[in-house]
Amino acid sequence: MNLRAISAGFKQQAIQFLADPQWIIPSLISPFLMTMVMIFLSSGGTTIEGPVVLQAVLGGGVLGMWASSLFSSSSSVSFDRINGTFEPMIGSGTRIIYVLIGRSLWSTFIGLLNAFIVFFIAELMFGAGMHVENPMLFFLTLLMAMLSLSSVGLLISSLFVLTRKGGTISSILEYPLYVLSGALIPISWLPGWMQSISVTLAPTWGVDAIKYSALTDHTGILGVSFATDIFMCLALSIILILLSYVVMLYVERKVLRDGTATRY
Amino acid sequence: MSNIINIMVSSAKNDFLSKFAIVHPLTRLLVIMLTNLFSMYFFFLLAGYVGNPDVTPEYVIIGNVVQSVATSTLYSTSNISRTEKHTGTLEPILSSPAKLFHVFLGKSAFGITMGFVSVIVSLTYAVLLFGVDFGSANLGAIAVVTVLTCLSLAGMGLAIGGIGIYLRTASILASFFGYIGLLICGVNFPITYLPSWLQIFSYGMPLTYAVEATRMAVGGATLSMMANPLMIMVSLGALYLVISWFMFRFFENISRKNGKTDSF
Repeated sequence: MNLRAISAGFKQQAIQFLADPQWIIPSLISPFLMTMVMIFLSSGGTTIEGPVVLQAVLGGGVLGMWASSLFSSSSSVSFDRINGTFEPMIGSGTRIIYVLIGRSLWSTFIGLLNAFIVFFIAELMFGAGMHVENPMLFFLTLLMAMLSLSSVGLLISSLFVLTRKGGTISSILEYPLYVLSGALIPISWLPGWMQSISVTLAPTWGVDAIKYSALTDHTGILGVSFATDIFMCLALSIILILLSYVVMLYVERKVLRDGTATRY
Repeated sequence: MSNIINIMVSSAKNDFLSKFAIVHPLTRLLVIMLTNLFSMYFFFLLAGYVGNPDVTPEYVIIGNVVQSVATSTLYSTSNISRTEKHTGTLEPILSSPAKLFHVFLGKSAFGITMGFVSVIVSLTYAVLLFGVDFGSANLGAIAVVTVLTCLSLAGMGLAIGGIGIYLRTASILASFFGYIGLLICGVNFPITYLPSWLQIFSYGMPLTYAVEATRMAVGGATLSMMANPLMIMVSLGALYLVISWFMFRFFENISRKNGKTDSF
């Protein structure tokens, strides 16, 4: 574990973000609109209240975290290619995976900020009634869900080293997780084969844990307990991080062998 | 006049060549196919889950067919200035004798074409996957509405793109206007559900009238029956195009004076 490289990756991503902080807005717009659409759809043009509002706001927060993770991970290596910094990075003695982990950690932080912005605006606009029984537990589950989303983002970052189409392809990946994670629509509404995919995704369990900690009468996906959610989310996230490491080792060797580091 | 047309044609040609050089046409088509499929399915599920009797899944699907033009044409044309800044080609264009407005007008052809492709893909899904009944639809009217929608939204996109010349990145505006239709243009629920202050913005968007006209055409209405929304939509598109001409002059001058043509 190269902590120095992770720390440098985190710092560099933070500096780039702070130099152009408006990037947070595009990743907020789409999730926030989804939340609003769900709220207005369920209102039927009359009252805007009830548990569906709280569910929409919680779901919107998760979508905000996913959008942040997805767009930052897809643009991560693409920007290096555009800026001409990918070749020096790959030529250094540090494994790129550690740099990407550092960057993902920054995205995790911004993703959490995204979620809180969605909660805050929804509270201001609709008085969503964000009453959380155990704020600390809620925060921890939110952090865990964000880490699970970042682990998916890390794998995407690793794979996108192979392509210059990362930015374009990332737009495909936005909605599938909206559907499969159960953030807005419970996965019990999905066809059986899709539910099978959902349960293999770490964020699905993270989303369920968030709902457990925030909604009083939540029964859990497939009737599982809160502890199972935590275990599954952490276990699947670790598997994804290990998989990213293996993929990155292969990708690094391939890029060096083929000499395609800065082909753009 | 012929010189202006030449500039527009060569700009359009260059734009197609560069966009397709980065992302192969088949890959781009695949991205449109998958993105539209997942987004339509998401709102289809959401409408079913919320269970509002006024908003059937069919209602939402037709709305999202039209919305796909906004995410392609409006987003793409709004984002032209950002693309030029990122690839470092805005300054060479500005230093050429051609007017920036004519160059961007030519480049909007790409967004318009992608809008057509996107609608065709979405309509195919609507029929084959989501079971929307086009038995009594006026297909000729749907085609006319689609053409006029793409052109009107390109006019609006250019007005937004004009502001982007001055901004560090136009992606915020492009994201905002590309997706705001999901909420305020009657795509997923009637605009009467919105607060009255928000409905004012709905009436300023060409997409609102495009959605209304398309719903009428799917119901079998003739072009004369939908003349009202079509006239307003085309008038708005033309108005935005005129505004964009002034926008380009205004922001181009400011950028030149401040030496910020290529800052991002």
